[in-house]
Amino acid sequence: MKKFTYIMLSIVLFGAKSLYAQTPKGDVLIQNATVLTVTQGTLEETDVLVEDGIIKKIGKDLSASGNIETIDATGKFLMPGIIDAHSHLALDVVNEASAPITAQVSMADVVNPFDVGIYRALAGGTTVAHGLHGSANAIGGQSITMKFRYGTSNPEDIFMKEAPRTIKFALGENPTRVHGRGKNIQPRTRMGVEAIIRNGFAEAQQYKKAWESYNSVKGKKNNTATPPTYDLRLQTLADILDGKIIIHCHSYRADEIYMLINVCRDFGVDKLVFTHVNEGFKVAPELAKYTMGASVFSDWWAYKFEVYYSTAYNAAILMENDVVTSINSDSDELIRHLYHEAAKTQRYGGLTDEQALSLITINPAKQLGIDEFVGSIEEGKQGDLVIFDHHPLSVYAVPQMTFIDGVKYFDINEDEDDQRIKVSPTEMVEPVYLKAEDERCMHGVELFMQEAAAFNHTH
Amino acid sequence: MAKNKSFTSLKVSNKSINTNLSLTCMIKRQNTLMYLVLMFCLLFINPAFAQSDHSGQRRITGTYAITNATVFTQPGKSISSATIILKDGLIKAVGNDLNIPIDAQVIKGDSLFVYAGFIDVASEAGVSKPEDVKRSDDMDPSDPSNEVAGITPEREVLQYWDINNGEITNWRKAGFSIAQLVPKGEMLPGQTALVVYGDKESTNILAESTGLYAQFETARGVYPGTILGLMAKWRELYKNAQLKYEHASLFKEKGNGINRPEKDPSLEAFYKVINGQIPVVFEAEDELEIRRVLRLKKELGFDVVITGVKEGSKLAEDIKGADAKIVLSLDLPDDKASKAKMEDATEEAKKAHERVVAAYKEALSEAASFEAAGIPFAFSSKGAKNGDVFKNIQTMIENGLSEEGALAALTTNPANMLGISSYTGTVEKGKLANLVLTTDSLFSKDAKIKYVMADGYLFEYEASKSKKKNENVEDVVGKWNYTSETPGGTSKGTITFAQESGNLKGEILVDDPDGSGQVTRQLENVHYDGKELSYTFSIIVQGQEIVVNTKGTLSGNEFEGNLSIKDMGTFPFTATKEPDFNL
Repeated sequence: MKKFTYIMLSIVLFGAKSLYAQTPKGDVLIQNATVLTVTQGTLEETDVLVEDGIIKKIGKDLSASGNIETIDATGKFLMPGIIDAHSHLALDVVNEASAPITAQVSMADVVNPFDVGIYRALAGGTTVAHGLHGSANAIGGQSITMKFRYGTSNPEDIFMKEAPRTIKFALGENPTRVHGRGKNIQPRTRMGVEAIIRNGFAEAQQYKKAWESYNSVKGKKNNTATPPTYDLRLQTLADILDGKIIIHCHSYRADEIYMLINVCRDFGVDKLVFTHVNEGFKVAPELAKYTMGASVFSDWWAYKFEVYYSTAYNAAILMENDVVTSINSDSDELIRHLYHEAAKTQRYGGLTDEQALSLITINPAKQLGIDEFVGSIEEGKQGDLVIFDHHPLSVYAVPQMTFIDGVKYFDINEDEDDQRIKVSPTEMVEPVYLKAEDERCMHGVELFMQEAAAFNHTH
Repeated sequence: MAKNKSFTSLKVSNKSINTNLSLTCMIKRQNTLMYLVLMFCLLFINPAFAQSDHSGQRRITGTYAITNATVFTQPGKSISSATIILKDGLIKAVGNDLNIPIDAQVIKGDSLFVYAGFIDVASEAGVSKPEDVKRSDDMDPSDPSNEVAGITPEREVLQYWDINNGEITNWRKAGFSIAQLVPKGEMLPGQTALVVYGDKESTNILAESTGLYAQFETARGVYPGTILGLMAKWRELYKNAQLKYEHASLFKEKGNGINRPEKDPSLEAFYKVINGQIPVVFEAEDELEIRRVLRLKKELGFDVVITGVKEGSKLAEDIKGADAKIVLSLDLPDDKASKAKMEDATEEAKKAHERVVAAYKEALSEAASFEAAGIPFAFSSKGAKNGDVFKNIQTMIENGLSEEGALAALTTNPANMLGISSYTGTVEKGKLANLVLTTDSLFSKDAKIKYVMADGYLFEYEASKSKKKNENVEDVVGKWNYTSETPGGTSKGTITFAQESGNLKGEILVDDPDGSGQVTRQLENVHYDGKELSYTFSIIVQGQEIVVNTKGTLSGNEFEGNLSIKDMGTFPFTATKEPDFNL
C-alpha cells in the first residue's frame, strides 16, 4: 500500500514537473575556497553549500548529505557568476532598424540557445548576460536577461524569468545616421532624438488614457464605446511610464545623457541606466542622483567622433561619485574575460578588489533589477558561482568551473574541442570557426544605410 | 508634301504586312478552323449531350476499369488481383470479381500497383507571385502600407494560379493529384486553396480559403524588416483583428450610437482564423522557427499547420501539446559532407567533419523520428524538385521511416489534416477518382509511375522498366591493368572496382604527377550500363586539381576507351582484367 502511494506520488510530482518545465537546479558543496562574496567581504578557507539551486550556507567545515557533489577548492578563489549588462550574444537578430521607435519588438523572440558563444562566455565565468537590441533606433526593442544554461535547445530555458523587463534606448550618432541620413526621416540631429522620445512618451500617455476610458465603460449597460486600436509600441512605452520597464540607454556625450535624464524626469520615469556613457564622468553627480547607474567600457573609445572625449578612469570616477557602475562587454569576445576588464580599473583609478569585482557582479545585477537573486555570494541567493585558480583580478587568473543554479555548466577539465550542441548537416565550415569576435550594436542596419561603408565601426 | 510622302511609304509597308499576314493565314487556316470549332463545342454545346466531337479532344468515356492489379486501398491494406471501377470522377467499386461496365475503358493492371493519389499540403505549383507594389517616393519606411510590408492576408491564391502551368504537369507526373496551394509573397501572402490536378478545362477547385498562409519573410527596407518586427507585427495584427471583429459585431447588433467600423481587408482576413474555421498555415523550417510559431500560437490561440519542416522531431512533446500539425518538406539537404575530401585534413577538422556527417544522417531520419514520436505528418512540395520526390522518400525509408508511414504521409495523413478524408486519401468506393499506378511496389527502387488518375482524368506516362544495370556489375568488379598514352609518355597502373549495395565504386593507382611513385585516387561517377563504362577521378598537379574523365566500351576482359582532360585533350586508354582465381 505504501509502495503504491509512493508510486502515485512520484507520478503526480513528475507530471507536475513536466507541466511547469523547470530549469535544472543543482546541489554542490565547494570546500575551503577563498570566497569573494563582493558584498560581505572576503572569507578565507570557507565552504559554500548550494542546495536545489540556492546558496544554503556559507561557513567553515560544512557537511553535505551523501549524494551532493563536493569540490575541494583549496587554494582557489570563488566569486559570484559574472554579469554582463550589455551583450548581443546568442541573438539571431540585433536590430529592427526600420523605425526610430521599435519598442514593440522583443529580443526574447530571437534568442538562439545553440550559439556556442554561450559556452565560451561560461568558460570566462559569465553566467548572466543582458541581451540588448542594437542602437539603430532612438527607442529599440525590449531586451532579455539570460542565464547561460548551455545545453538546452529551448530558448526559454535560458531566460531569467525573475528578471524585470528592460528596454534599449539609443542617443546620438547611430539613430541620427540610420534614420536621418539613411532614410531622411526624424531623427536627423540630437534634437530630433529628444523629440522622438518625448513624442513617443506623450503619445503613450494619450494611448493609455484612450484604453483606460474604454475599459472603464466596456461591458457596461448601453455602452457605445468601441475599442481603440491596439498598439504594442505605445503599450510598451506606456509600460515604461508606469515603471514596469528599466531603460538601458546607449549614450556617449554628457549633454545628451543629461538630456535623457531630464526627459525621464519630466515623464516621471526613474528606472534608467546608461550604457557606454563615455562622458559619464562629466555628469557623475547627476547620474548618481537620478539614475540606476552607468555601464561602461573599461578603455574603449575613439571609434567615431562622439566617442573621442573619453578616459580609462571613467569607471573609477563614476564609482567614487556613488554612481552604480558596471563594466560590460558589448562583444562576444570580451564577454569571455570581463574579469580583465574589471581589473583595469585598479590600474586606472585604483579601485579596491571589492569595488573592481562589484563592476561585473552586484552592480550590473542592480542595473538589471536582479540583485536580490544574483550578483554576490550570500545565503538565499541563486547558486551562480565561478571557481578561479588565481584571484580573478590577477592577470594569471583562469576560470576553472562555472555554476548556474548549482549546476556545473563549465569545467576546464572536461572542456572539449568542439562544444557545439547543434551542427549544420550541410555546412562544412560554420561561421563559428571563422570569427570569434562580433560586436553587433549596429548589426543589421546595412540595408537602411547607403553610406554605411563610410562608417566602419560597430557600436 | 513631306507629310504625304510619309503617308505613302506607310501605306506601302502596310500592304506588305497584309500580304504576309494573309499568307500565314492561309497556311494556318485549317488549324484556326479546328480551334474555332472546338471553342464552339465547348461554349455552346453541353458536352454530356453532344452528338459528336469535331475536335477529337474530348475523351470517349469517363468510365474506367483497372483490372487485375494489386490495390493498396490504404496504408498497410492491399487487395491482389483486384478491379477498380471508376466513373465520372468517382471510385464506383473496388474488389475482386467485379462486372466491368460496357462503356469502360479497360486498363490492364496486371503487374501494376495502385495507390490513392498523393496529397500535397503546401504547393506553389502554377502559382505566380503578385507584382510588387510601387512604393511612393515619400513613403515612410517605418510605417508602410500593409501591401508594401508584405501583409496581404486578404489575397486568394487562386487569383494567381494557372492550371496550365507546366509545374502542375510535373507534380502530377510525380503522383500528386490534390494540393493545397500557397500564395507567394512575404510575411502574410494570402489564403490557401485546395485544388485537384485534373483536366485543364475544369476549374479544379475543391475549396477556397482553406488556411491563412504565413512565413518568416519580410519585405526589404521597411517595418517589419526582421523576425523581431515580424513577431511584434503578428501579435498586433491578430489583436487588432480580434478588436475589429468585436467592434463589427457590436455595430451589427446594436447600430445605434456605435461608430462605423473602418473597413480593413487585412484584418478581416483573420476572422476565419479567430473563429476557428481555418488554421494558420505557417512555414517554419527549423527548430527555432517552429518554436516561434508555437509561441505565437500559445499567446494568440489559433489552430496551426506547420509546413516546410526540415527538423524538429525533438519538439514532439511541444508539438503534441500545442496540437500543431506537421508537414515535412520533400526537400532534403545536400550531402556535402560525404563529398568533402578529408584525407589531408587535420584531426580537429576530421572530428568536426564527422559531426557534419552525423548531423546529415540525423536530418535524413527526421521523418522516421516524427513517426516514432507518434506525430502523423504530411509532405509539402514547396522548395522541392519533383524529380527528387521518390529518391528523397526512399532515402527517408532507408533512414528508418516505414513504407506504411511514407504512404500515409502522402495520402491519409494530409487528407485528415485538411479535413477531406471523407472524399479522398484512400482507394474506396465513393472517393474521388485520384489514383497512382506504378510498375512496382511504390517505394522499391525500380518503381515507375505508369498512370496517374486525377479527378477522373487519366494521364499516362512512359514507364520503361529501368535497365537492370546492376545485373552486369560483376563484369566490372575486379582488378584491371591499364595503359594510357599521354603526351608525358606511357603510363601504367591498376584500377580496382568493387560493388557496394549494387553500386560500383573503385580506385585507381596513377603516377604521382608531383613526384616519383604512384598515388591512389578514388573513382567518382562510376557508371556502367552493361556495355559502356565511365568514371572520373582527380589528381593534384602542383596544387591544382585536374579532373580526368574516362569512357569506353567493355567486352569480356578488355576495356577500351579514351581518357580526357579539360583543356588538354583526349588520349587512348586500354585495360585488361586480371583473371579471378576462385578455385
